[in-house]
Amino acid sequence: MTRLWLLAALLAFTFSAQAAGDAERGRQKAAQVCAACHGAQGNKPSDPSQPILAGQYYDYLVRALTDYKIGRRNNPIMKGFAGQLSQQDIEDLAAWFSSQESPLHDQR
Amino acid sequence: MDSSSRFPLKSGGLGPHYNNQMSRLPFSALIGAALACGAHAQPKPPADKAPAAQESRPATPGASQSVDNALAMCVGCHGIRGYKTAFPSVYHVPRIAGQSPTYIVNALKAYQSGERSHPSMRGIAGGLSEETMKELAEYYGGPAK
Repeated sequence: MTRLWLLAALLAFTFSAQAAGDAERGRQKAAQVCAACHGAQGNKPSDPSQPILAGQYYDYLVRALTDYKIGRRNNPIMKGFAGQLSQQDIEDLAAWFSSQESPLHDQR
Repeated sequence: MDSSSRFPLKSGGLGPHYNNQMSRLPFSALIGAALACGAHAQPKPPADKAPAAQESRPATPGASQSVDNALAMCVGCHGIRGYKTAFPSVYHVPRIAGQSPTYIVNALKAYQSGERSHPSMRGIAGGLSEETMKELAEYYGGPAK
């Protein structure tokens, strides 16, 4: 029985991880936290050393923010910002940025 | 996107990189032959393989080849739309075309230094020279070409 619950929880997690974020909440959060460096839509970084976030894959953005938050990706500036985000914030921001118009494109 | 670019291996679509290496073979064979003959006659290089680009960089004779080799490593994941990592966890590999060249070089250096930890990227970036990083960043960075 315990195993069944574990399986159910795993499945729920797997499917919720597809796109659990709310883009509108992400838009509001982005305006407070991310916009100064990445642009409100994530497509106009204020400096070329800062990446374009618009149009990036949702799950990659979640991964990157999580990595910054827990220190697996070791950047002092981003650790400061990502450290104050909840898991829900991270998913909301990823939903917002991944759905914005972007200069990122496909190229082999 | 048509199926040939979606599945490059099926159609030999990795062509630019592999073909470059293939077409370089007869050229180096020509050079070898010329040296063996005492270089009395200048071998005429194939028209499609202008020698100027290579001769302008005598200090790094293997440079352009190493960029081709490095690029072949990139396209295996970043060149396939929607491709996902398999290890250590599963998520989309990021879209990199269109980022600024500065960011791309910084990202590669961060993998090289260990600031970023993805095992495959650490392995790949670890073997790149700064020169090659910059050439890759120029290839992928900026507006669509």
